Amino acid sequence: MLYFELKKIWVKPVTKIAMLALAGMLAIICYLAIHGVYYVNESGENEYGIEAIQKLKAEKKEWNGLLTEEVIAEVIAENRRLNETEKGRSENIQDSNIVFGWKQGFHDIRLLLMYSFCKFREADYYLPDALVPEDAHSFYANRSLHLQEWLAEEEQQHRFSEKERAFLIGRYDMLEERAPFYYDYADGWKQFFEWAAAAIMLTMLTLSFVTAGIFSGEFGYKADSVFYASYHGRGKAVAAKLEAGFLFVTFVYFAVMLLYSVVVFGIFGIDGAELAIQTNGRWKSFYLLTNLQQYVLTILGGYIGTVFILLLTMLVSARTKSPVAAVTIPFMLLFLPGFVSGSSFAPVGKITGLLPDRLLDINQTLSLFYLYEIGGKVLGILHVLPTLYAVLSALLFPVICQVYRKLSAG
Amino acid sequence: MVIFMELKIENLTKTFQGAEAVSHISYTMGKGVYGLLGVNGAGKTTLMRMLCTLLEPTEGTICLNGEDIFRMGAKYRKILGYLPQEFGYYPDFTVKDYLLYIASIKGVHRAAAVKRVGELIDQVGLTKVQNRKMKKLSGGMKRRAGIAQAMLNHPSILILDEPTAGLDPNERIRFRNLLSEFAQDRLVLLSTHIVSDIESVANEILFMKEGMLLHSGTPEAVIGAMPERVWRLTVPVHEASAYDRHYKVASRKAVSGGISLRILSKERPHSEAEEENATLEDVFLSYAGEQDPFSSEKTEEDVLAKRTWL
Repeated sequence: MLYFELKKIWVKPVTKIAMLALAGMLAIICYLAIHGVYYVNESGENEYGIEAIQKLKAEKKEWNGLLTEEVIAEVIAENRRLNETEKGRSENIQDSNIVFGWKQGFHDIRLLLMYSFCKFREADYYLPDALVPEDAHSFYANRSLHLQEWLAEEEQQHRFSEKERAFLIGRYDMLEERAPFYYDYADGWKQFFEWAAAAIMLTMLTLSFVTAGIFSGEFGYKADSVFYASYHGRGKAVAAKLEAGFLFVTFVYFAVMLLYSVVVFGIFGIDGAELAIQTNGRWKSFYLLTNLQQYVLTILGGYIGTVFILLLTMLVSARTKSPVAAVTIPFMLLFLPGFVSGSSFAPVGKITGLLPDRLLDINQTLSLFYLYEIGGKVLGILHVLPTLYAVLSALLFPVICQVYRKLSAG
Repeated sequence: MVIFMELKIENLTKTFQGAEAVSHISYTMGKGVYGLLGVNGAGKTTLMRMLCTLLEPTEGTICLNGEDIFRMGAKYRKILGYLPQEFGYYPDFTVKDYLLYIASIKGVHRAAAVKRVGELIDQVGLTKVQNRKMKKLSGGMKRRAGIAQAMLNHPSILILDEPTAGLDPNERIRFRNLLSEFAQDRLVLLSTHIVSDIESVANEILFMKEGMLLHSGTPEAVIGAMPERVWRLTVPVHEASAYDRHYKVASRKAVSGGISLRILSKERPHSEAEEENATLEDVFLSYAGEQDPFSSEKTEEDVLAKRTWL
């Protein structure tokens, strides 16, 4: 039964078109992830491709090591030295590009300087150019300092309870205890995370066209009478449909993620797996994770979110007998939060923070300061979401079966 | 395994938006072939769908060996085979895959299913196209696949709604032979517009009109109980329409000297009219009134809507 339900999904033209479209989109995402990294040569021109990636890797690898105060001071000094050169002072774009090329080996650390010295909700790319080596001592201390300043703002005083404030400060203290961070080349992880959300969302949306027809298909084909009049028609056959949908989604999701991982890490390498995510663009995140842990969270979180949204799609498909109504669900869940999350009313933000779309973009969610107090314990959004949606998904299975079993044939 | 003895319908009623599609029907069926006749909208499909547990009755019960079929659920469906009037299928499945899938949801074990599918494909004459996609079959072939799926689980109760629609004469003969062979020790209920299909295989005929069971009995008994007699009369062409207005005319045929009419009437319509033996088709016309069952394209829903409107 399960075999035929899987076959029913696979032989549909919409499935084949969807899979081809997904393969095309994945190819584009891989291209963008690879093309997003370039090497600036001595003439100030950008070079792309695998060779360029290797050249950049070699330059960045020279800065491997602990980011001690001395190393930070060295980077600030080197940055200043290069800015003081004739080309560094020039306003000519070509010269600026050449100088960027000189700096690209420590560009990641320069970005960390920006994250460290900019306050919350600030991003001044040129701020590191104004630093002096003596500023290096506050490189790690800035994080907690800026947090306290931010929490002192009136808006944040309404937003966080005392317990939540203490939680955030405690987390930042723990991060400071882990200092100095280790730096290594980690472009593979950076590029993977940058495009992972797009890959996951497109996979989910593409799969929604397939799953939307699993339950409504019987009615669309007018095959419902024979189905419901059969021995297993209101029992195992319904469960087999759900299992087939679940297995198909699982297979395609992990196939896409595997392919995407193989391409990205095959080209960039997996260097930097054990680095703290704070050294990889998530400086202000309060989660204590490594790149490898973020990778696992991205894949699993995306999977749980995808499964939940697609189960919801199947539920609507089963209830309404309409694939069109069903396919609107994932689009609504993806785009609706964008409209309501702009609200300055704190509880709205907390609620939209719990929407399943957050699981599809873990990289962004890691930077969110949504906190929830459950049983007297303060938890971050990522401590709550995976468990919440795994439980809700598990609950949806019997609900879908029950709804579909009780329908009348058309 | 449930052993079929009798299927008892009691005071069965189904109402759609205030209109009764099936109205207070009571009837008991044992083993044998039952032919269900009635014009479109008479309630045949609604009755069959209730017998297949696809629709719940508004009133009344259907019991198998004394047990309500809706309470029996899967136990009842285990011994049921059903071919709906609008037979839906999975267009991208091959005939073989389609039948194997249906066998699986009917609870037929894989090995038995493979054997049974092979037999039925052969019996309904689809051997050459068994690996062809369903969407590429002709209308008649699809109908034959539909008949095959209904028989997959050796059902004790086989319900066929318009099984011969779309079949050519050869296919209809093949179907009748298959049904005669299959119907031993089973209940087969079939509805059709082609009265001759029922005439040759049915043990009992049930006439439905406007949701009610009008008459039932063996073909001989229903023919014998027909309130009108059948007459053959040849009239000039210009007089034929007058007979159409005053009598139920079963058939018209152009012959030398005018039009030969087959008339249903209690009295001899003309001194030259000769009495003929009645057939089931005459009975159909007699019970169905003026409506010509072959020209009507109305569905049960259309007729119900009209009834509600009136």
